[in-house]
Amino acid sequence: MTSPRGSDTPASWVRLAGQTHQAERLGIDRRRFLAASGGALGALFLAACDSQGPRSAQAILKFAEERNEAVERALLSHTSMNVPRRSAKAAGERFPSYFVSRQVPVWDESARGPWRLEVGGMVAKPLQLSLADLGSLPRTGYRLYHFCVEGWTAVAVRTGVRLSDLARAAGADPKARYVDFQSFDDNYHESWDIESAMHPQTLIVYAQDGRYLNPAWGAPARVYSPVKLGYKNTKYLTKIMFMPERNGGYWSDRGYEWYGGV
Amino acid sequence: MKRHHAVVRVTHWVNAIALTIMIGSGLRIFNAYPAFARRGETFCCYPFERRPIPASLTFGGWLAGARNWHFAMMWVLALNGLVYLGFIYLHGEWRDLVPRRGIARDAWEMVRFYLTVRKDHPRQGKHNALQRLAYFSMPIVGVVAVVTGIAIWKPVQLSPLTNLLGGYVWARYWHFLAMLALVALTLGHIFMVFTVDPYSIPSMITGKYREDLSPEARNARPFVHLLPAAAGAPPSLHSSSEASRDDVPPRL
Repeated sequence: MTSPRGSDTPASWVRLAGQTHQAERLGIDRRRFLAASGGALGALFLAACDSQGPRSAQAILKFAEERNEAVERALLSHTSMNVPRRSAKAAGERFPSYFVSRQVPVWDESARGPWRLEVGGMVAKPLQLSLADLGSLPRTGYRLYHFCVEGWTAVAVRTGVRLSDLARAAGADPKARYVDFQSFDDNYHESWDIESAMHPQTLIVYAQDGRYLNPAWGAPARVYSPVKLGYKNTKYLTKIMFMPERNGGYWSDRGYEWYGGV
Repeated sequence: MKRHHAVVRVTHWVNAIALTIMIGSGLRIFNAYPAFARRGETFCCYPFERRPIPASLTFGGWLAGARNWHFAMMWVLALNGLVYLGFIYLHGEWRDLVPRRGIARDAWEMVRFYLTVRKDHPRQGKHNALQRLAYFSMPIVGVVAVVTGIAIWKPVQLSPLTNLLGGYVWARYWHFLAMLALVALTLGHIFMVFTVDPYSIPSMITGKYREDLSPEARNARPFVHLLPAAAGAPPSLHSSSEASRDDVPPRL
């Protein structure tokens, strides 16, 4: 990165050389001027900068995010499927656990009644599904990579119900362009574009590696799709809302890319 | 006659800024998981797994900030690179950069000269053989960085590309190595500019260059003969009695 000291470098060899008349003959004054102004510009840049870069750049970054979303939407295809290499080992028990609450969120039946997954919003038949109801719907399982925004991947077998099947069962309105996934992990939620939500590998997952989810991994049910980065895949699901507009999300509202496609 | 066309000068500095931001923000992204292994696995080929890059070398502040910068600046870097490559292809500057016959021997002669084994500067055109190799490989490594970057940006939608590179983990590794190569080339370039040919700095700004101050004219190696005449009389090439003429094939 530019450092204020960097501007010493071009000038120091000039000083080593020392002699004024030579310096002038060589046009060093101009170079020294250039070096100094370069340093001054660097200092200005740093001064206008917090650790995230110049504030005035935020509008440009926002603009770039919107352009990127258009590119990512254009790239999304329902026939692009994630197939981990056969040699890739399942993460198993080493699969990371993640939630935003202080403690592992556990659905407290005595306080909140039995857990139900609500499918609502722009649907003809709103649904209230128990875990047993989910299990009785057509079951789909995939061995999939998990792509975390941090850069790691992990392999797990995800089993559950295709969201497209749920949408059909609930009679989702074709005019719904977005889906919001809400949870009981504090106020964690993330909204998606409908196209990603209807990808065949987008599942409402209730089992991982052949066992019902444990609380560390999002029990009783979570959304999972390899077409979205990990943070878009809400765990501890309570509601799936079909909507005409997007409504942000936990990390999307905190500066992470809303689209988060993979 | 300008040494560098305005298009080359502008794309050079745009690239310098874009690349700096890409590398800084890329290192900040890397620090969110400074390792290559998949969860539950180990990775063969990176000795510093789980040791983050010093924060002072990173840019973007936090993961989301760095990603936003990275995914904005990638367009500047790629489009600027395309303008540069398209221009030098159409305008002919590529001829100054592609390796010629005998480049290995010419490069070796430059190495011998820099190591003071050889006394006089090998003859050269616009660039010496080492520069040619560096400036020729820079865009190639740049293309590798862009392609591997796309592969880890869209490993599902563009899975054929990612698989071609050995999968996500390896594509991420190639992306990292491409960055290291770009850093090495850039640091070498900056070192040589300041220690051998600082007179070329104005030529990348205004385009003006004094051939009589070229490293060949000054017989300059790093830190040696930075100034002409005053710094101890560089031998005039034509008075050199060394048998070096035979080393170098005649060129047009």
